[in-house]
Amino acid sequence: MSTPLVEARALGKIFPMGGGPVHALRDITVQVSAGEYLAIRGPSGCGKSTLLHILGCVDTPTAGTLFFDGREVGALPDVARSDLRLRSIGFVFQRFFLLPMLTAAENVDVPQAEAGRSKAERRRRTSELLEYVGLSHRADHRPSQLSGGEAQRVAIARALANNPRLLLADEPTGELDRSNGEHVAELLDRVQADGTTVVVVTHDPSLAERAARRLIMRDGQIEREESGR
Amino acid sequence: MRALIFGARSLVRQPGRTALGILGIAAVGALLFDMLLLSRGLVVSFRDLLDSIGFDVRITATDSPLPAGVRMKDATRAASDVARLPQVAEVLPMRTANGEIVLSRGRVVPAGITGMDPGNRHPWTIVSGVDLTPRATPPEIVVNEQLRDEIGVAPGSELTLRAACDPGRAVAAPRTFKLVGVAQFPFDDEAQSTAVVSRDALREACGDDRDEADMLMVASSGGAAAAVTAIKAARPDLYPITNEQIVARMQTQGFTYFRQISAVLSAITLLFGFLLITVLLTVSVNQRLAEIAALRALGFSRMRAAADVFVQGALLVGVGGVLAVPLGMALSIWLDRILKTMPGIPSAMHFFVFEPRTLLTHVALLVATTLLASAYPMWLVARLPIAATLRSEVVG
Repeated sequence: MSTPLVEARALGKIFPMGGGPVHALRDITVQVSAGEYLAIRGPSGCGKSTLLHILGCVDTPTAGTLFFDGREVGALPDVARSDLRLRSIGFVFQRFFLLPMLTAAENVDVPQAEAGRSKAERRRRTSELLEYVGLSHRADHRPSQLSGGEAQRVAIARALANNPRLLLADEPTGELDRSNGEHVAELLDRVQADGTTVVVVTHDPSLAERAARRLIMRDGQIEREESGR
Repeated sequence: MRALIFGARSLVRQPGRTALGILGIAAVGALLFDMLLLSRGLVVSFRDLLDSIGFDVRITATDSPLPAGVRMKDATRAASDVARLPQVAEVLPMRTANGEIVLSRGRVVPAGITGMDPGNRHPWTIVSGVDLTPRATPPEIVVNEQLRDEIGVAPGSELTLRAACDPGRAVAAPRTFKLVGVAQFPFDDEAQSTAVVSRDALREACGDDRDEADMLMVASSGGAAAAVTAIKAARPDLYPITNEQIVARMQTQGFTYFRQISAVLSAITLLFGFLLITVLLTVSVNQRLAEIAALRALGFSRMRAAADVFVQGALLVGVGGVLAVPLGMALSIWLDRILKTMPGIPSAMHFFVFEPRTLLTHVALLVATTLLASAYPMWLVARLPIAATLRSEVVG
């Protein structure tokens, strides 16, 4: 059996709050295979975004261990975790978080430059990605000049800039109307079909249904798992 | 994308705030620059002034700072003793007195009178007419432009001088002098009336035959320090002092006031600069928390995200600091004019004097301020909890 790309074992996350500790995650064990499309659903506050953040190495669990490509990443120093995120993990956020002072192309360029790629290589990759998300004609537009759907597609291109093995999307259609949400959902299908592992956190049943496997969470735990489109 | 371009774009994104920030830093930087110019301005200017007249050693009868102290007795002999030393090129005794130019209908114009024989070098510059001739009859006088304008006579005219050479002594009878020239005296202030006559002529005007001098002005032939050593060995009763020593003495005594003011105002200015930069960067960071968290999620390290903040601070201070220099220079010219109206300040002296080291100090202080001022917003960025920030932004 091949090593899963991501493996979480007995993850727990407790947030210390004024009124006492809040258990955001309890004993979560999950494996995500390379090339898989996994959706995580559940009501607000059930811990799905927290799980996504831990899987993406932007947060650390208070219990349990996390492996990325067979390597334990929980104890990695910040620099190593940053480098892992830069080269192997892409993030798509509900509110896009594009840099408003940069054009679409420059936003896609940012992670590549950070990874030390050459200018020529970046230019080629940026152009390829903007074409991939259907926004070549918007390359020189700033985020304020893009529609929500377009901005999210640029954000997806940015997330794919360094050819990550894992793409994590937190409510990627949460800010979009139905039509734009559909476009973004189709794009994520394509990303997964082209070989990138995709994990999506969503409230949107139609988006979740596109995933081959779905985790339904409640109160910080996985309530059940569904599979099949 | 390079951090510099990234930081510049981040600043340009808020043009109004950035422009105000730069202007604020330029204003603070200009004040700082002026305080640095002031801290050494008088010293540098005074040293230049002392050096400009060609004498690098002064000899007095006591160790009291000039011009206080006791007059030197038997000045001619002292001067010839010193002049014989191989380390000395020229010696000129100088005596000063208060005087009045007596005009028609009893009107008098007070003037400071110097008794000094012209040598190869002397501390005045003839601007019209001719220089003094020793032992001329009638005795000759050279006045400064201020005194010429007050008495309203031209070279070739005769004028009457009444000297008061010692406090407590009766004023001597007036003497007639021939005005032969008009000169600039480097130590004159803008309103000062000054005249110079030969030593013999001043002695006669004083009505005494005392061979006294306030000081001997010495031009060394092989360096001031060597001349001082030789003078001390030859005449241990005299007190020779080099220009450098006079400047050093003024630095610890007369000019301390300006240095202290400068230090206090520099510190306050730097504190304002520090607060301004810290506030600007902190506000900018707080407005961009979600973006910073997103960049961190995308793989920017703590160091890299913090470096962006520092670059923004450096750009603000860099542009503001560059603007501060011409602004400070312009301001210093204006302030110099105001301060020079104080009585007793020689026209040739300046409170604000530019030196390359001032610019280096200015840059070093601004760099240090940027580092300190960026520390808190950089710390905010470095400690930013990525997940919590992203979560709160979405919930918000």
